[in-house]
Amino acid sequence: MTAIEPETVYPIEQTSAAPETSLGRRAGRGLLRFVRRAPLSAFWGCIAAAILVMALTAPLIAPYEPLKSDFRHMTKPPAAPHYFGTDQIGRDTLSRVIYGSRASLTVAIGAVLFGTTLGSLWGLASGYFGGRFDIVSQRIIEFLQSFPDLILAMAIAMALGAGIGTVIVAIAITRIPFGGRVIRAVVLSLKEMSYVEAARGLGASHLRMMARHILPQCIAPYLILATTHLGVAIIIEASLGFLGVGIPAPTPTWVNMLADSLNAGLVPPWWLVLFPGCAITLTVLAFSLLGDGIRDMVDPRLRSAV
Amino acid sequence: MYHYIVRRLAFGALTVIGVSIVVFFVLRVLPGDPLIALFGPEGFTKLSEADRAGYMAQLGLSDPLIVQYLHWVADIARGSLGHSFFRAESVAEMISRRGPLTAEIALISVALSWVVGIPVAIVSALRPNSVGDNISRFLSILFLAVPGFWFGMLIVLASLFWFGYRAPLAGASLLANPWDNLQIVIGPAVVLGLGQAAYIARMARSSLLEVIREDYVRTARAKGLNGRRVISLHALPNALLPVITLSGILLGFVLAGSIPVERAFGTPGLGYAMFTAVSERDVFVMQNLVFLYAVVFVMLNIAVDVTIAWLDPRIRYR
Repeated sequence: MTAIEPETVYPIEQTSAAPETSLGRRAGRGLLRFVRRAPLSAFWGCIAAAILVMALTAPLIAPYEPLKSDFRHMTKPPAAPHYFGTDQIGRDTLSRVIYGSRASLTVAIGAVLFGTTLGSLWGLASGYFGGRFDIVSQRIIEFLQSFPDLILAMAIAMALGAGIGTVIVAIAITRIPFGGRVIRAVVLSLKEMSYVEAARGLGASHLRMMARHILPQCIAPYLILATTHLGVAIIIEASLGFLGVGIPAPTPTWVNMLADSLNAGLVPPWWLVLFPGCAITLTVLAFSLLGDGIRDMVDPRLRSAV
Repeated sequence: MYHYIVRRLAFGALTVIGVSIVVFFVLRVLPGDPLIALFGPEGFTKLSEADRAGYMAQLGLSDPLIVQYLHWVADIARGSLGHSFFRAESVAEMISRRGPLTAEIALISVALSWVVGIPVAIVSALRPNSVGDNISRFLSILFLAVPGFWFGMLIVLASLFWFGYRAPLAGASLLANPWDNLQIVIGPAVVLGLGQAAYIARMARSSLLEVIREDYVRTARAKGLNGRRVISLHALPNALLPVITLSGILLGFVLAGSIPVERAFGTPGLGYAMFTAVSERDVFVMQNLVFLYAVVFVMLNIAVDVTIAWLDPRIRYR
């Protein structure tokens, strides 16, 4: 065992020498491996990315203004100038579907960044410290989970009043328990690892232990959780909007289009129901399949946990 | 076993008390005057100061919050649950009139989810990664991604479009008018049932795959039992334990999920009442229904835990 080369003895120095390039290259290699090993998930990842691009470039690619009425074309089925038809006050459905991605993605990303992250950090702390803090945290999380998430989100959204910010907060709060539970379980098993014990033996502080030794191991489960919950958040946002406690009316969102179509008359025009709903389904499907793919590649053992 | 049940019940009771406190205070910080919801913005401006104070006192809204909360608890204990702002019937009457429809929807959907989900899972698990397995896995992910209320809208629209059919809108009880009742219930039950079937199929597939690899299953095979017997008598009962847990939890989620689905179908059930209460900002109905949903959810979870402990000796003797 004397043949160990000097480079492998100090792996930390090695990576810190050129952090940007090696990190970029590593990410690139990881991506390539992902495409090769899970082509289907990579395909859905591309769709998710395309929806993201659509949201970012909505003003460039939408053929019409989403709020502008064309009174010569009202409640028209899909035909030449309006490829997805128009609604009852002559707004172009295609443009509204394109703009609608902005609201859904903003809410989903906001809710996950805020809720899942907060929950994960909480789970990290409660798993790491254990003891009374952990017991109290567990009870609070169990309590949060004693409401079905839609009911909880509905009550919070109602209490805070309508608006995109409130919807984000309402959905984020329902995401906290999931982050808390999953990451806590991961941390509990990490705590027993000998490298963590070694770090403690070397006199590392609590903060350093959590940030340098435990947190990096939690990133993979966090990513899987976040991707999967993007889809869940979009569904909850849609349900809230459908019940009238979502993002208020003039904003073009997919679910507002669905809810509007119910008020259009006895029989809602089919194009006003079909296209926004397909947009929701496709987006949720893309995120959940991407999440599944990442999970299968990073750690198949997490299959049941997340 | 008894200790376990008692402990679960005690914790459940604590949760219910906590839920009532949270529901009450969250809904009382609602922005806007309840009188505006009651009389509309125009009617509100026409009321004099004295009238406003009188109405607030009559509704019991001018007492301190603690007193209001205790009144509500007393109402719950008496079983009357307070009154709606807008309708004459008490919330308890509304629940007993509309509740059975939603309960029917929930139970039929659970039954449907098992009938669809378990066979799909067995077919998938027996030949993992085959074409059939991949199709059923994709379908189950698809049904997780489809919002139930949109699926419901499509069903309503398609049956109108192609068959000129619409389910009867007036409520019909199971005993007095079973045929109308079935027509009302079946749509939401199918939508919610397929949504749950997706979860059930995923869970049952992975749990079956785990169980099939265990030694006792191999022993049963080695004894010479045929494949069907091994699966149905040896593997399935153990594989179903996590599915029972999941199904109980899903039943709670179905009650919440039925709110938008009932709105999509126009079903006159409890979910639709919740939707009406939300859109009318009817705080009394909201707080009682949210509380009811949470209580049912907590009780279901306890029932599931106890059932599992009863079915699974590994948990019972821990």
